[in-house]
Amino acid sequence: MGVTGLLVRAGAMRPHVLVAAMPGGAAVRLAAEAQLRRRGWPAALSPADADVLLVAGAAAADIAAAVETTWAAVPAPRVRALVASPGEVAAALDAAQAELAAGAPRWLPAGDAAVLPGANGGAASGAGGSHEAHGTGSHHDMGDMDMEMPGGLSMAERGEDRDGLKLDRLHVPLGPVLPDWSAGLVVRLVLQGDVVQHAEAAAVGLMEGAGSFWTEPWRRAAAGEPVTTGVAARRRAAAHLDSLARFLALAGWDDASTTACELRDDALAGRPAPSLGLAVRRLAARVARSRVLAWSTRGAGTLPPDEAAAAGVTGPARRAGGDVTARYRCWCRELSGLTAAFDDGSRLDPAVLEPPRGRLDGGQAPSASLLAVLPRLLAGSEFAVARLIVASLDPDLDELPARVETGHDH
Amino acid sequence: MTSVVFWVLAPLAVASGVMVFRFNSMARATFALLISFLAAGGLLIWLGLAYLGTVVILMMVMEMVIMAVFMIAYMMNPAGLMPMSMVHNRRGSLAISVAAFALLAAGIVVTPWPHRMGAPPRDATFALGAALMGPQMLTMITLGFTLFATMVGAVVLATHRGRYDRFGDDLKRRPPADPARGGVGQ
Amino acid sequence: MITSAPLWSVLVVPVLLAAFTAIGALADALLAARADARRLSMGVLVVPLAEVPRLLAAQRRTTLAPDSLVWRLGLATVPVAGVLAAVVIPFGQVTASRMSVGVVWFNAMEVLTWAGLWMAGWGPNAALSLVGGYRFVAQGLAYELPLMFALISAAAGAQSLDVAGIAEAQGRLWFVVWMPAAFAIYLASVYAFSFLGPFGYPAGRDLAGGVLAELSGPDRLVLQAGRWLLLTAGAAMAVPLFLGGGAGPLLPAWAWSAVKTVAVLLLLVWGRRRLPLIRADRYAELAWVVLIPLAIAQALAVALVVLMTGGTP
Repeated sequence: MGVTGLLVRAGAMRPHVLVAAMPGGAAVRLAAEAQLRRRGWPAALSPADADVLLVAGAAAADIAAAVETTWAAVPAPRVRALVASPGEVAAALDAAQAELAAGAPRWLPAGDAAVLPGANGGAASGAGGSHEAHGTGSHHDMGDMDMEMPGGLSMAERGEDRDGLKLDRLHVPLGPVLPDWSAGLVVRLVLQGDVVQHAEAAAVGLMEGAGSFWTEPWRRAAAGEPVTTGVAARRRAAAHLDSLARFLALAGWDDASTTACELRDDALAGRPAPSLGLAVRRLAARVARSRVLAWSTRGAGTLPPDEAAAAGVTGPARRAGGDVTARYRCWCRELSGLTAAFDDGSRLDPAVLEPPRGRLDGGQAPSASLLAVLPRLLAGSEFAVARLIVASLDPDLDELPARVETGHDH
Repeated sequence: MTSVVFWVLAPLAVASGVMVFRFNSMARATFALLISFLAAGGLLIWLGLAYLGTVVILMMVMEMVIMAVFMIAYMMNPAGLMPMSMVHNRRGSLAISVAAFALLAAGIVVTPWPHRMGAPPRDATFALGAALMGPQMLTMITLGFTLFATMVGAVVLATHRGRYDRFGDDLKRRPPADPARGGVGQ
Repeated sequence: MITSAPLWSVLVVPVLLAAFTAIGALADALLAARADARRLSMGVLVVPLAEVPRLLAAQRRTTLAPDSLVWRLGLATVPVAGVLAAVVIPFGQVTASRMSVGVVWFNAMEVLTWAGLWMAGWGPNAALSLVGGYRFVAQGLAYELPLMFALISAAAGAQSLDVAGIAEAQGRLWFVVWMPAAFAIYLASVYAFSFLGPFGYPAGRDLAGGVLAELSGPDRLVLQAGRWLLLTAGAAMAVPLFLGGGAGPLLPAWAWSAVKTVAVLLLLVWGRRRLPLIRADRYAELAWVVLIPLAIAQALAVALVVLMTGGTP
């Protein structure tokens, strides 16, 4: 095993890390992303590409199964790291790298390694998922519908689509473990080709009483603590930058996405307002001005204002009043507006400076209404556009349990 | 040396052609057909027709990939995972194909092929181009227009939406009402 | 006068191509470090090379009910296409194969990627891989015709389909000067057939890597290497087609070929990060309605110039 050991040690100089963001683990995820950028380690896009699985935050019972499926899909040599607080990230990454470089690859036993699940979020295997048995089959000469297919899958059903074709329907769940995706969100898609025919959104892994990282200043102010407008403005700007970074990464503009991530970390770390404000305004102007990005996203996921109002959507998604292009431009506009308030020492007034995704004093959490409008927006869109629509709304599922007074989960 | 090339490519072409009918999977059948065409293109290159052989390779790869897309979209059981007999009218088609092969082979063997007059051109590609632009120009024009008319006709027959569906009854609606937005002027 | 080297020189082609690819990869690593605001040091250049041993040592994986033959064959086709396409490119005064139809051969070899990537997407029986494979076919339909017309413009300007002949015909004026549209379309097509940069749609982030999503270990290395080999082959081909081949003062011909290839390669690597991803459903219409007429008009202009001057200007 000499040569393999050498190769493993050389490869451990730059491991690829798959960050599995858990609900309630937003601060850990931010710390992990910052650490990866500092070390120059790429973030893996799928379990097949990963060496280290970093679980950011505590995994609740219903999401643990998805994490296990994802872990089973990571090829050897591999290390799993469970990090519960932001301060532990650096040490965990160092330990993971040391373990990888120790040169003793832990190969999966041959029997278990034969079949590894697919990359789409760890909640189902490959394209098998939950197919239903084929309906009528008049022209093939099999009377017995219990024919065993490889892997125990049954044949896909077919359905009509917008072009008049009848294509196989694939049931593909997105999330909960997926890069550039809201933590704890599961969207079950029915795909024909790459067109979404039907979508259902749900939340998993929510922890009671955690509360969202992004709305913390407003919750503390509601509890009576003295919170300055500056702190709240920085938190909200960081939330918009986080959403923007995720959206830009999905739209394929990696450099702008990295800049947004750096500015987000700077805003949270307390970088002085003048230089930070200038950098934020420059980024927001660049993104809002980009004609190629607008051309790519125009006309997708249009949310008319009256429908938004009916669903109870508040915040930027309602104010933008339009398609994906309008929503990300709304974030850019609001970012530029927020830079003026970074050093404001006055007391926070929730009516003047709202939380990032909408008001907290409505009947339901703002992200719950975003989840409610999601299925209708996704139906009929192509896969890439569907991902962009979800990213342009960017629901924060950590908000959900904090608002539920009656105590049951979504 | 040259007959080695023939004895590698020709059986490959025939064998992969046979495999088209033996594979259960649509994808494998399409790519077996592609390999058969690539071997035929290689044989053309070996015969000294470099341009024709390379163009056959170029065109066949593109066409087989597009054919694979359609075969898999339109046929059930595209991966062949469910063992199904895909052949119809076994005896009739076997009889017809054997008879056709016997006829063609007999024709090839029995025909008195003429001896070569003159020598092959020094630059076969140039000679081909000169022939197409000169004596065969009428053929090219006719073929070109026929192909174009066929393509346009096929698209018109296939789609059930016309100008009035896209641009409205007065043909004035801009942008056109399509299920998927295009990229120009929008 | 560009001469054809003996047959064994075909084995030198992949080595040379790999060397240029390494230069491109290092440049990309430098730009990535600058984008991340990391301090530039020797480690920045060396550590990204750790990707190769990492992938060589990683475990290969398979999925549920894959079509392994089609999958692995498709993966192998991509780097082979890159190397075969580079066989006709002259390096200085020497070329591995002076084929009389070199331009058509280059086109045919890069089209093999269509088959290879579709098979790589279909093979693993996974939804996201499949979508990635089909995305490449959609992209292919858009870029192929403009690329063909751009190549035809260069061939018409030199009145020859032989790549070495096209390089030799640029003695007085490089083609990039009077065929700028063809050059721009050619560079965009290089991104498209190596699915990098603005045309990296088949391996996009929204598909968790698309065709790369189910690959690990040596399979992943083969496909990633294939992408970069295709990019390098495309950059190397731009030199005899539009930039005069090995022509230039002072330095020997092979040095000029190398310098120009590296220059085009660095331009492509830099441009890859500047532009956001363009989706095939948006630019398909642009390619057919704008780029094809533009490419045809360029070819027409070249043909008229050649007829009027009775040869190259």
